[in-house]
Amino acid sequence: MISIQNIQKTYQSGDIKVQALQNINLTINKGEFTAIVGPSGSGKTTLLNIIGGLDSPTEGSIRINTTEITQLPENELIDFRLHHIGFVFQSYNLIPVLTAKENVEFLMLLQKQGDQFRNERTLKLLKAVGLEDQVNKKPNEMSGGQQQRVAVARALASKPSFVLADEPTANLDSKSSENLLDIMQQLNKVENTTFIFSTHDQRVIDKANRIITIEDGKVISDTHHSKD
Amino acid sequence: MIIKIAFKNIWRNSLRSWTVIIAITLGIFGGLAVISTATGLSKMRQNNAIDTYISHIQIHDTNYLQYARINDTIFQKEELISFIKSSKFTSGISSRIKTESFIQSAGGTSGVILNGIIPYNEKNVTGIYKKLDQGNYLKNYKRKPPIIISQILSTKLNAKINTTIQCTFLNAQGESSVCLFKVVDIYNTNNSLYDEVNAFVKMEDLREYTQLSGIHEIVIKLENEFNVESFRSKLIQQFPNHQIDSWRGIAPELGYADKMMNLILIIFLIIIMLALAFGIINTMLMAVLERKKELGMLLSIGMNKRKVFWMIIWESIFLALISGPLGLLSSYLAITTFANHGIDLSFAATGLKSVGIESTIYPYVENRFYYIISFLVILTAILSSIYPAMRALKLNPSETLRTSN
Repeated sequence: MISIQNIQKTYQSGDIKVQALQNINLTINKGEFTAIVGPSGSGKTTLLNIIGGLDSPTEGSIRINTTEITQLPENELIDFRLHHIGFVFQSYNLIPVLTAKENVEFLMLLQKQGDQFRNERTLKLLKAVGLEDQVNKKPNEMSGGQQQRVAVARALASKPSFVLADEPTANLDSKSSENLLDIMQQLNKVENTTFIFSTHDQRVIDKANRIITIEDGKVISDTHHSKD
Repeated sequence: MIIKIAFKNIWRNSLRSWTVIIAITLGIFGGLAVISTATGLSKMRQNNAIDTYISHIQIHDTNYLQYARINDTIFQKEELISFIKSSKFTSGISSRIKTESFIQSAGGTSGVILNGIIPYNEKNVTGIYKKLDQGNYLKNYKRKPPIIISQILSTKLNAKINTTIQCTFLNAQGESSVCLFKVVDIYNTNNSLYDEVNAFVKMEDLREYTQLSGIHEIVIKLENEFNVESFRSKLIQQFPNHQIDSWRGIAPELGYADKMMNLILIIFLIIIMLALAFGIINTMLMAVLERKKELGMLLSIGMNKRKVFWMIIWESIFLALISGPLGLLSSYLAITTFANHGIDLSFAATGLKSVGIESTIYPYVENRFYYIISFLVILTAILSSIYPAMRALKLNPSETLRTSN
C-alpha cells in the first residue's frame, strides 16, 4: 500500500516560487491499475517522481508498506527503489549496449539473484510481453513498441511492490499502445503488481480501474471503475 | 555486469575511443622512444668513457689520489693482482705508474700526467690504442723512448709524430729528472679534459727514469658491467687499506649525467602522464555528459552510486588496457629493432663526436620502464576518471530523465 499524506512541492526559480503540488493525500492499494491524468504542467510527473523517491517533497510524507521513504538516506533510497519500485519511462530508457534479455536481467543482477532464477524470470517476462523471439536483440534493433515492452519486463523483473510509468504510450503508435496496455493489464492481474501511470492517453485512461485527476498541483477528482 | 557494460560503453562512440586509444598509444611510444634514445646516448657516452680510458675499477694507495706523491704506491700489488686475476668476473687487468710532469717541446710547454703502461695489458682494459692516428701503441723506437700524446697536446706543443719532447718530473728520491721522448703517435678520445693532461709512455721506461719499484694504479675491466659494485665490495672487504673505486667514483660526472638523465626521464614521464590524464578526463567527461539521461535512469532503477562510479572508472581502465599494450608493444618492437641496427645520425656526426658520442645511436631502455609505464598508465587512467565519475554521481535522476539525451 502506498500512503501519500499532505504532499507539497515548491520549486524556486529565481525569485519566483512555483507550487507544483499542493496538499496531495492519496492511498493506493496493492494491485490497483491507476492512471494519474491531467493537462501538461499539472504536476503528474512531479507526483510520480516523488512517489518513486526520485524527487523529495517540500512537505509531507510517502509511506510505502511500512517504509517512510522521504526519511531514507540517498543510498538506502536507491536500494529501496531497486527492491520495491519498477520504472517505465516515456522514452523507454533501455541500456543501449545490452540485449533485451540483458536489460531485463540487469536489475536482478543488481539484486544479486542466482543464475537460474534470473534466467527463468527473464525468459518468463519476455514471453509475457511477447518478445521471446527477440531476446538477443539490442534496443536499436527493435521498434519503439518492442523497446517499451522490454522496459515493462525490466520494471517487473525485480518483483517490485508497484510500477510507476510516466506516459508510457506517449511515443508509441496506437497499435503498439493498445498492445502494451493489454500486456500491462495482464501482468497487473497475473503478478498482482500495482501500476501507476501518468498519461494523457484516453486508451490508458479507459483501461485504468482508478483515475486520479490533477490540475494545478491539486487532486480534483479520484474515481474508481470496476473492470474485468 | 558492470564491467561488461563498461567495456561495451567504450565502443558506443568508437571513433572517439579509438582517437583516445591512438593518442595514448602514441604518447607511450613517444615517451619510450625519447627515453630509449636519451638513455642510449647517455649509455653510449658512459660506455665510451669506460671503454676508452676509465675502465670499471681502479685501485690506488689511499694517499695517492689526494697527494699524488710518487712514493704513494700500492703496497700489496702481488696479492691484489693475484686475487683479481683469479676472479671469474675479470676480463682484463693492467698496472700503471704515473707521475706529474712538465712537458716541453720547441713549440710550447704544458703540465701532464705521464702514464707508464704495459701496452699489451692496457689493451685489455682501455681503448686508447683504438684512438691512435697511426696505430703505433708504444712500439720500440730507436734511441729515444716512445711517447703518445693527445691531439690537443700536440697542437699546444706544436709537436707532431717524430717530434722530440722533454719531460721533467721528480723521481722516487725526490730529485728532478729530465728525459727525452719521441712522439710515436697521437690520440684523440673526444674528451678534452682527459686528453689535455694525459700522455702515455712504456712502464719500463718510466720506471727506469723514476727509479720506482712499485705501481700507482691497477685498472680492472670486468666481463659484465653489472658486477662492478659487487666485485668492488669484495675487493674492499679483502683489501681494506686501499683506495678502490668504480668508474662512478673515478668519473663522478658520468654518474651525475646518469642521475640527471633519470631525473629528466621522470619529468618527461610526468608530462606524458599529464597529457594522458587530460585526454582521459576530457573523453570521460564527454561520455558522462552525453549519457546523463541514461546514468539518471540507472540511478532511478536502483543502481547504486558506487556501481555507477566504478562503471565510469572501468571504462577508463579499458581504454588504458587497450592502448597500454599497443603502446608498449609498438615501442618494444621499435626499440628492439633500432637497438640492433642503430639510429644513423651521421648528418650530425661532427657535433656528436665533440661531446664524446658516436653518430650511430643504439636506443636502450631498461625493462623496468615498461613495467613502470604500464603501472603509470593504469594509475593515470583511474585517477583521471575520478572527476568524470564524481560528476556522474552528482546527477539528479529526476532532472536528467527530463533531458533530451
